[in-house]
Amino acid sequence: MREEIAIGLLYSVTGTYGMIGRDVLDGAMLALAENAAKDACPVRFRPVLRNPGGNIEAYLSMGADLMARDGCRHVLGTITSIARKEIIPLVEKHDALLWYVLPYEGFEACENVIYTGAAPNQHIVPLFEHMLAQYGSAVCLTGSNYVWGWEVNRIARELVNAVGGQVLGERYLPFDDTDTARLIDEIERKRPDFVLNNLVGTSSYAFVRAYHALGQRNPDFAPEVRPVVSCNLTECELPAIGAEAARGHLCSAIFFENADSDESRAFRRKVTRAYGAERRLSAYLVAGYEAVRMLERTIVQTGSSEIDIVRRALYAQEFSTAAGPLRISAETNHASLTPHLGRINGHLSIDIIEKAAAPIPADPWLVNFDTSEFARNVHRRRGGGRQLRAVR
Amino acid sequence: MSPPRQSNFRGRRALILHRANGDTGRLARQLERLGMIVECAWPDFPAGGEFADVVLFDADNGHPGMWPWAEGEAPVPLIALFGSELPSRLEWALDQGISAHISKPIRSSGVFSALVVAFANFAAAAEAAARLARLEARLAARPLVLHTLVALMTKCGLTEEEAFACLRRAAMNERLTIEDFCARLDEFRLAALTRRLMPVAGQGGRK
Repeated sequence: MREEIAIGLLYSVTGTYGMIGRDVLDGAMLALAENAAKDACPVRFRPVLRNPGGNIEAYLSMGADLMARDGCRHVLGTITSIARKEIIPLVEKHDALLWYVLPYEGFEACENVIYTGAAPNQHIVPLFEHMLAQYGSAVCLTGSNYVWGWEVNRIARELVNAVGGQVLGERYLPFDDTDTARLIDEIERKRPDFVLNNLVGTSSYAFVRAYHALGQRNPDFAPEVRPVVSCNLTECELPAIGAEAARGHLCSAIFFENADSDESRAFRRKVTRAYGAERRLSAYLVAGYEAVRMLERTIVQTGSSEIDIVRRALYAQEFSTAAGPLRISAETNHASLTPHLGRINGHLSIDIIEKAAAPIPADPWLVNFDTSEFARNVHRRRGGGRQLRAVR
Repeated sequence: MSPPRQSNFRGRRALILHRANGDTGRLARQLERLGMIVECAWPDFPAGGEFADVVLFDADNGHPGMWPWAEGEAPVPLIALFGSELPSRLEWALDQGISAHISKPIRSSGVFSALVVAFANFAAAAEAAARLARLEARLAARPLVLHTLVALMTKCGLTEEEAFACLRRAAMNERLTIEDFCARLDEFRLAALTRRLMPVAGQGGRK
């Protein structure tokens, strides 16, 4: 009899950011199905699914259920930082391990959380190094009204100031608010070189569509001239925006489906078998999949699902993932990741335009970030020099 | 918008004054994550400890005479580590002039915010103290300013407003505050100033 390990999956697959939750969950379920099919594997997972539906109150009660009643010591879960911060005290209380796999705003390193999504030095910093050099340094910032947008926009402001640029506007929408008229109006008046979009879910999709309408009315706002850039928009959400409206804007992520590697091609084959050839790959799908695989491999290696043993074994190895090599730092519990920069093409997919040469360790407090070095890098790029390896 | 406050502590030195245990281990680990250089000591204040940029101390077991400085006059931000919440201990910690506190048991969250708050409070308190010192010095110089003002009024026949305007202009020319300017005026310089002002006052008188 194989050891059966309860694994909690706490994702909102309905509600304003349900598409993201669905993608992460599908990735996790793919790895769990693979696990179940491996007769020789000494570890078998028992997935316990909960859907808080984007309702912040539900995270706490469902999280408590997962850990107290269902005995889950490992929980993959939460999309937004509000939800993560809400359940961290609970995870600490039960001495469980939360696998948080989404890009986030940093300034956190909980002993009971493994962070496999990008931290700011892995998303906004490389994205802005490109944008400030290629498009200019007059910027409008926008976001959903909570910590993700607030903090990433604060960092963006610091980056813009570092190169002597100007933040022309900063505006927030409540969750699920799709009334973007004032936002669009302000952007049209202020004519930024580009717009940073930290909106989440339905607000983000509505904004990109409205920006497209603006661009059709006024060619000055075509994506080639003044693009919208995001650190939290992936292939899985593009259908909600529409191919034409999404085309030409830029995104930062740790994976795009057009990645050219053996690992990503192997992942593509598995996804096609499980979900059909039409299924888009995304950083979120990969994140759910790889987190379960890392957990499986570590438990097989150590013969234990005790979180202290798992954690120590995680630090000691390098994982080969669809998004490239990945290590978990013993100092920060964060993953080293390879930042990619992509441009949305007209076929609901994202073409890679730049990629870091090697994985970059997370720096959740931006301890090693140096504004003058950042300014020098931007300056060098303006002169035609390249810090990141250009792809294609 | 106020200027951004310090939130990067890379290379800063933190001194932890606390018996070594799980709390100090977690605290040191978190401070090192923030790029800080950490030293732990207990019970004695270590040699060179006064060169730390911030001191985190056990408020449960701290005692009079534990500092190399006078009580309440720490030259760097102090962060109290509270386990007990006894009013006597809180009182004692406040007397030391703490800039922030962290509750035990220490967790990974809470350390960064305590640092940001401590540095900001310490800087604000230092600025307020400097401002207070400036204002007190001005207050102390009041009789002197009055004396000079009266001298100008009587010797040059100026009104109070005219005398004050002259004084302000003369101080500005020498890039001094009015108080400092007055403090440097001996009888000889005052006489020189009144001589310079006489024609102006004379013109004013002819109108």
